[in-house]
Amino acid sequence: MSAQSHSPGDHGGHGGSSVSGGSDGPPGKPAFTTPIVIGLEIHAELKTKTKLFCRCPTGSATADGKGAVDGSESPNTRTCPICLGMPGSKPVLNKLALQHGLLLSLACNCEIAPTLVFSRKSYFYPDLAKNYQITQYELPLGSDGKVVVGGKPVGITRVHLEEDPASLVHPSGVGGSRFVLIDYNRSGNPLAEIVSAPDMASPAEARDFLNWLLTTLDYLGIFAKDAIIKADANVSIKESGYTRVEIKNITGFKEIERALAYEAERQRKDVDGVVQETRSWDALAGVTRSMRTKETEQDYGYIIDTDLVPIAITTEMIQQARELLPELADAKEQRYLALGVGETDARVISQDKELARVFELAAAKVEPVLVGKWVRRELARVANYNSLCVGDIDTTQFIALLELLSERKVTETTAQRLLEELGAGSFDVRGRVAADGLGVVADAGALEGMCKEAIAEAPQAVSEYRAGEEKALNFIIGIVMRKSKGKAEPKLVKEHLHALLSA
Amino acid sequence: MVRAGPDKEGSSEAPVQRGALPVAAFVAQVNACAVDVVAHTEQALTELAALDEQHHFFTVMTPELARAQAQAVTAKIAQGWKGRLAGVPLSVKDCLCVEGVLSQAGSKALEGYAPVFSATAVQRCIDEGAIIVGKTSQDEFGFGSFSTNVGIGFAVPTNPHDPSRACGGSSGGSAGVTALTRLPHLSIAESTGGSIASPASFCGVAGLCPTYGQVSRYGLLDYANSLDKIGSMGKSVDDAALLLSVMAGHDTKDSTSLPDAGFDYSAIASTRAADGLSPVEGLRIGVLADFFGEGVLPEVREHVQRAAQQLADAGARLKSVSLPLTAKQGVGAYYMTAVTEASTNLAKYCGIRYGHAPALSVDEDFNASFTRARSESFGTEAKRRIMLGTFARMAGYRDAYYIRAAKVRTLILREYEEAFSKVDVLLCPTMPVLPPRFDEIAKLTPLQNYLMDIMTVGPNLAGLPHLSVPCGWVAADAGRGSAVGGAGGSDTVFLPVGCMLISPHKREDVLVQAGRIIRPAPALAKGDES
Repeated sequence: MSAQSHSPGDHGGHGGSSVSGGSDGPPGKPAFTTPIVIGLEIHAELKTKTKLFCRCPTGSATADGKGAVDGSESPNTRTCPICLGMPGSKPVLNKLALQHGLLLSLACNCEIAPTLVFSRKSYFYPDLAKNYQITQYELPLGSDGKVVVGGKPVGITRVHLEEDPASLVHPSGVGGSRFVLIDYNRSGNPLAEIVSAPDMASPAEARDFLNWLLTTLDYLGIFAKDAIIKADANVSIKESGYTRVEIKNITGFKEIERALAYEAERQRKDVDGVVQETRSWDALAGVTRSMRTKETEQDYGYIIDTDLVPIAITTEMIQQARELLPELADAKEQRYLALGVGETDARVISQDKELARVFELAAAKVEPVLVGKWVRRELARVANYNSLCVGDIDTTQFIALLELLSERKVTETTAQRLLEELGAGSFDVRGRVAADGLGVVADAGALEGMCKEAIAEAPQAVSEYRAGEEKALNFIIGIVMRKSKGKAEPKLVKEHLHALLSA
Repeated sequence: MVRAGPDKEGSSEAPVQRGALPVAAFVAQVNACAVDVVAHTEQALTELAALDEQHHFFTVMTPELARAQAQAVTAKIAQGWKGRLAGVPLSVKDCLCVEGVLSQAGSKALEGYAPVFSATAVQRCIDEGAIIVGKTSQDEFGFGSFSTNVGIGFAVPTNPHDPSRACGGSSGGSAGVTALTRLPHLSIAESTGGSIASPASFCGVAGLCPTYGQVSRYGLLDYANSLDKIGSMGKSVDDAALLLSVMAGHDTKDSTSLPDAGFDYSAIASTRAADGLSPVEGLRIGVLADFFGEGVLPEVREHVQRAAQQLADAGARLKSVSLPLTAKQGVGAYYMTAVTEASTNLAKYCGIRYGHAPALSVDEDFNASFTRARSESFGTEAKRRIMLGTFARMAGYRDAYYIRAAKVRTLILREYEEAFSKVDVLLCPTMPVLPPRFDEIAKLTPLQNYLMDIMTVGPNLAGLPHLSVPCGWVAADAGRGSAVGGAGGSDTVFLPVGCMLISPHKREDVLVQAGRIIRPAPALAKGDES
């Protein structure tokens, strides 16, 4: 049965990815031990202005990263003879896509192929302009990589470049349409395919890996954030002897985890019914359905695409890409921890490019631990509440606010209120604090006056406190804070009250 | 025994040289405003239409485009503009895209396809003032050696010297029309495994296939991408060289275009070297012993040996060279590679966006629709090559065929490199036989048919420039005498023999200089052994 089992290096939609293409059978017995084994094959659209092999705009990656995505523009307008597969046209590689692919391969700690070679993957389907897809086969751009996600290593079998097919439009839904329309706007958009080893032991781990990948793509600046991520997944369970089931065409981050959870459960419930097959994910019904079994598995008849000359990937090119490689989430997290930032803060901030950007700007001026807390908790909260990107909140004013806070010129309460106001629109924070008298009540006389008033207003709390009920003091502090409209520093108030009540 | 030559004027020159001025001389006259280009174009269109009626050299003629171009060239010349091909009637093999003109690669699969762009090679000729007169007949997608495997609905071109015989292929129409027209003429041809040399040899014209990557393939309807080369045909070596020099050069639209592509004809336009010596003085010519033996018609052998002697007489040194691997494995490696690539190239012809498309039926899924479109579109040989090529790349067979062919190809390339460390040019017959009659071709098995390419596949696999130049004539009986043995009968025709020269990459200049030396010898009676 080993030929039908799930094994390392036998992943993805490549009929086993073996060069000869002749055998799917992995050598030896699978070495799995976990109850579930999952491997992923992710397709991510790379952010380039033009398509992979022609100069048509990709449409999903304008300079501001907010370009139109599929379907939001007139069909078949971003096309030319090349991406339409017109006879006589020839592909010419977009060098930026190669650079993006190199960055991604390096970020996955892959070995880089000495030569970039493209192949033709042949199959007849209406969304393929040429009835073959230009992709990579024998020699992927990156191979044998490894990343660490949540402390656990995940092998990266391969990273390669390929062109996106066109999109099929069913005017009345997949089931109800008498005909299908083809929109070639997407045809030829650059994709990176990332194939993981079957190193994930649960749908949650798969989600963490996807998170890692999205964060990395974002840091590398090579991924159109609004673009849709697509995955094929392999799932097998211990009870079936790790018989491999492939789920094709799962679209969207959340759907991937859902599909995996469903499929693992399906296999557990019917262990005897698990066969090596390819299934599809029906997101609407929330189930996987059998597409084809091993006997009818497609043979793509790969050959080298000799329209594209092999490009030598020199050590200079790799070195250049390495120099462009930004600091990634793991390294950032370690650095933040070294600055004393709390564990959760460091992890959350490092996994979000925007939070990390704001954090690093602020931490250059204000104590990092405080910045960490405020970026992860307050800034993220206000952004979420207002449905904003973190970058939409004026970073300069946010930093000014943190400065005031760390200098104890405003209280946390005041700072929170001001940050919420920044969420609605930028203003000069220092000016507002001065103009509206929002500074901390630092006048000892005024503060003492408020404290005396509060003591007079709460005789019961006073007697409780004097009877040894420490908590009763908080009630009195609350009265002072109200009187100061939040501008009193709670610590100072406490000291004054303590002194007055002990007198 | 040498008979009188075929020329009606009684000179010893070959018949293909009659009448027409060398293209360079004609262009000089045009650029000097000494030719009425519009009138000349009309004359050419009339003559070519008559030839086409007899011989089916064209898949489509383009009189309106030609007239418009003639007007445009005339206007520019009047402004003092000069073009390297000004006013020259140019025919273009059907597999090259010409904007707005039917470009069908001789296939029903491309029925009605009028591309929105011109091939780079075509555009460069237009930019130099060439007048496009039509698209020439070919084997469907280039799948043949005789231009008999035309697509459904296309006519087979007939040999200019005997209509019962084939033109050779696949650029048969290009060679035929270039041979017969009495006016200056150039033709853009294309070779994958010998499709320029073969028809040039059978029709008696010069066919120059350049180094792979010299001429951009942008706008070429692909047969096999790693093998396809656009080249030139002319009545003389110099005509062909001039056309190549216009087409060659780097093109960013074709990734396989050589960065240093280009062929400088002006540097070798003179037939004499600067020092007054023969340009072939001391040139080392390797006579390919493997291609003079069994299977080669004695008359062909004799003429080609005579051509080698002409080069020796002009100062070249002859040496016997052998390419055993190429001779033995070349045809197999070529066909495996070519059909494999072809099977993917032809996948796009499924009736969705261009070409023949049967009416859609709601009862059919896409698979059935594609199948019907393809079944109705492709001719027998195209179907055979799609099936062979698909088989050769399937899991389980891929290593044995596709991958092995690629390995053999590399070894063949090395064998040529080794040969070129000893000689400058290789020489052999272009085709082992005379142009065969259609009834003879019909009897050939596919394998016998493929073996006709034994001499041409080598340089094509290795991407090496090669030139077929007419080197002699053989008298045969019209419509009766066999091309592959035996003679007799009354109506005598004269059939050409081609000599092939092969040079290292990018040394088209040496081919031209050597090719010029070769003069067609007077006719031999077929069956005579001298």
